Amino acid sequence: MDNHNLLKVRDIHTFIGQFHILQGVTVEVPKGSIVALLGRNGAGKTTTLKSILGLTPPRQGQVTFDGQEIQGRRCFEIASMGIGFVPEHRAIFRDLSVAENLKIAERKKGDLARKEELIFGLFPDLKRLIKLPGTHLSGGQQQMLAVARALVADNQLLLIDEPSEGLAPVLIEQMMKAIRQLSAETTVLLVEQNFIVASQLAESYVIIEEGRSVKSGRMADLADDRETIHRYLGAA
Amino acid sequence: MNDIAVKLRRNQTLIITLVVLFVLYIMAAQGMSTKDWVITTLRGLSSGAVIFLVAAGFSIVLGLMDVFNMAQGTVYMIGAYAGWSVYVRPDTLIDLLTPLALLVVGFLLNPLWNNLLDRLNLSHRAVQVWPWVGLILAGLILLFALPHVPIAVWDWKDYQDSPIVWTQNFTRGIRTSLLEPARFGDISPFIVMGGILLGSVLAAASLVGLQRRNRAASAPRRLPWSTFVPALVLAGIGIGAYLFNDSWTRFLLDLNSTLLFLIAIAVATLTGAALGGLMEIAFIRPLYARPLYQILMTLGLSAIGIDMVREIWGRNPFMLPRPSIFNGSGEGCPATSLGGWLEHHCSTLSVTIGGKAARIRVYNEIFLILVGVVMLVVIWVLIQRTRLGMIIRAGVQDSEMVEALGINVRRVFTLVFALGVGTAALGGVLSGPMTGLSDQMGGNLLLVILVTLAIGGLTSYPGAFVGAAIVGLVQQFIIKYGQLGIKLPFMDEPFKPSPPLVPASTVLLMVIILLIMPQGLLGRKE
Repeated sequence: MDNHNLLKVRDIHTFIGQFHILQGVTVEVPKGSIVALLGRNGAGKTTTLKSILGLTPPRQGQVTFDGQEIQGRRCFEIASMGIGFVPEHRAIFRDLSVAENLKIAERKKGDLARKEELIFGLFPDLKRLIKLPGTHLSGGQQQMLAVARALVADNQLLLIDEPSEGLAPVLIEQMMKAIRQLSAETTVLLVEQNFIVASQLAESYVIIEEGRSVKSGRMADLADDRETIHRYLGAA
Repeated sequence: MNDIAVKLRRNQTLIITLVVLFVLYIMAAQGMSTKDWVITTLRGLSSGAVIFLVAAGFSIVLGLMDVFNMAQGTVYMIGAYAGWSVYVRPDTLIDLLTPLALLVVGFLLNPLWNNLLDRLNLSHRAVQVWPWVGLILAGLILLFALPHVPIAVWDWKDYQDSPIVWTQNFTRGIRTSLLEPARFGDISPFIVMGGILLGSVLAAASLVGLQRRNRAASAPRRLPWSTFVPALVLAGIGIGAYLFNDSWTRFLLDLNSTLLFLIAIAVATLTGAALGGLMEIAFIRPLYARPLYQILMTLGLSAIGIDMVREIWGRNPFMLPRPSIFNGSGEGCPATSLGGWLEHHCSTLSVTIGGKAARIRVYNEIFLILVGVVMLVVIWVLIQRTRLGMIIRAGVQDSEMVEALGINVRRVFTLVFALGVGTAALGGVLSGPMTGLSDQMGGNLLLVILVTLAIGGLTSYPGAFVGAAIVGLVQQFIIKYGQLGIKLPFMDEPFKPSPPLVPASTVLLMVIILLIMPQGLLGRKE
């Protein structure tokens, strides 16, 4: 068994309805690292995260988390094994207060109390907003809350989808700082459109193109590889 | 200050509508004596309480799962009939316990079947085929075993043994003399019970197999011992109900009718909840993506439910006798004070309103309203203050995200469906002593709760309460005016609304309110 990788995704195929969305994605996430999934819009990055979590279960292939095969299990079981999810559009619960939005993520009694210091250390703003309903938050505050929510339970792995999407530059900076701080204790698999953000955060990358993982390696090498960047990411 | 002004302006229409309704309510006192007005109000609130129970369940299910449960009225009816059966014929309940408990045992062991199937390495073809074979086999076994279970039951085709006569006997206090315990025939009871158990296990495992057909197998895990506890307890109850059939029946028959009524309420509510859970798992779950099919499915189930009730209890309406605590008469009755009531448990209270003597029926006009208020608070606390409620409120918006937090949303859905349908059954059994039981009661009420929720706001919980109170009051005031007549200008004779105008008037009110506020009084604006 491979102790080095916390998460191993091997050649998964996922269908949504009749559409063959993922046609062979392989991702390895070493313990304690930050890995970025890169690729164009609609390449299948979000579906990869959802397939790992069992929200769109893969039909073929293997997903190994912490030494156990998890493909085919139901989403809540997979999440309870210690995977936190920060979805694309934050999915803050509108009818719940900020405090309840955090509380609902508890898996054991007292989770929130134990993590309070960490969460409010990373996002001091949330402490001030704790009684507000979820609707009253700005986009940046919602993003912070979404990340904070994934931290309440003892998660070994965080799946973060587009943390910088729609945020002002100052907030992106703050979010990056928080994620970097987090990665000291947890492992992060990140989907990020913004290549500059991704390249500053992640240690390694996997490029997904039309539902296939086509290239992976160390982020430091990618930054110099103009051709790959141009070909798969369309960025300069 | 400013805040309040803004809120007032935003809710202008609501406030004006409520004020107009309130003024109409006060004006209704003009055509009748104060005594009649108070009594009619109480009646309105008590039918409102029953409407509220059924409507609240409907609206919670609709809010969380977007399911229009058109069978809600039928479950309300089944709740009443189930309550009657427990209350008047406890022996039937005990006889039924054995097969029912054993049938469920197999399904409680589902984690075990899943685990075993994880360990078996079956070929693709076998995986596709064996569940069907298993299901057919289970069906055959159950078809053989179940008819051999003896159940002492009434027979509506024979007048002397019909629910009507049983009800009359119960009211006269004759509860035991007619009972003849049912006995197993030639076949050994243990073969029959074993057969049911085997059928249940086979059916459960096959259904698990069916669900797994298109999913990759997951790595087997060790099961904790606690997995088996519920199944063992239930098997114990089932076998116990066979071994100690007579003494358990005797125990229920000798109970005070008030206690028995409480048991009937509990069993009826649980029956409703179990039906709801079963409905969700078997029929609603495959249809979450198809709202129209859900409506057709629940309508179909409701038709089946009505026919089953006719087949088991017959078409003739009968009453659910009031429990002794609400049924006192004779000396000291009607009571004139609370103390007097506590002493004699009179069915009515005598009070003076506006200089006239009035009689208030304790069960209908006090107890039911109290239950309605208590349930209002209980459900509110459940939704606002508990973890389950938090999950429900979150799931209404985004059930996928809730699942991604590690919460078994499917189970929460089943639970909420069971809860919503269970409250309907509770409403049914509670209304039994007030309105009686008939095969029409469900269909009539379904229309009323749809009107109620349209008035209050489809998925709004406070809306269900306000709507139920309004509909209940309108119904009762129209009924009262049907007796008294309304003096209208330009008419010589007072106008007497005929009974068909009772439902029509609530629908008319709904139309008016929807024209002013398309989302209902307290519904959320889209």
